[in-house]
Amino acid sequence: MSETQTTIQPVRRAVTVERPLEDAFRVFTEGLGTWWPVATHSIAKDAVETVVMEDRVGGRLYERTTGGAESDWGRMLVWEPPRRIAFEWQITGTPTEVEVRFTPEGDRTRVDLEHRGFERLEDGAERRESYNNGWVTVLERYAAAA
Amino acid sequence: MVANGDGFGALADPTRRAVFERLRGGPRPVGDIARDLPVSRPAVSQHLRVLKDAGLVAERREGTRRLYRIDPDGLAALRDYFDDFWNEALAAFQAAAESEGREQ
Repeated sequence: MSETQTTIQPVRRAVTVERPLEDAFRVFTEGLGTWWPVATHSIAKDAVETVVMEDRVGGRLYERTTGGAESDWGRMLVWEPPRRIAFEWQITGTPTEVEVRFTPEGDRTRVDLEHRGFERLEDGAERRESYNNGWVTVLERYAAAA
Repeated sequence: MVANGDGFGALADPTRRAVFERLRGGPRPVGDIARDLPVSRPAVSQHLRVLKDAGLVAERREGTRRLYRIDPDGLAALRDYFDDFWNEALAAFQAAAESEGREQ
């Protein structure tokens, strides 16, 4: 039981794909629904029809079931094709943040992913108000879109 | 446990996230957590049980009441969960991107 704020190391993973930069970026973003492992990595699991990443800052990241129900995963924070994206990850309750960088290496592309901000989940009440406001905004946007 | 189970599932439910959120200011009893939530107290207790099973929330007795708090070890486990999570996601991405390349 620590009273001090702990820093939790970000998750950092990387992969190099045998594809040029623009193709790697396109498959990762626009093609997200074609490769995302929804059976294990989603809310509705096998009922998920697709996963969508909207191509702009403020855009939604969400899953949609075959019945048409949409669940938000997060919101785009950075949209810099074909080099960098970042999005808020709301699945952790208090949003954490995921950044993905694409770097050309000849005909290949290195993809670096960092998921950070886990210590925010333990933060005190001072963040709560701003978070709740953010959450209301997200729900309002969802209601407006639905 | 989050480490070998379903962290996505534990926090995917919006009400459960709201319950988890209400513990960020410090330990609270279930009645206090349930007060401003639009669900019944037994429902809140059920959500707390799932969060506890996921390792994200810990419980301690204080006299006759139980206090719930965020488990810092659980947050580390959640981080480890996402380590595997992104590993699997990136492997799926790599397979899809390179298979598309071969088809062209």
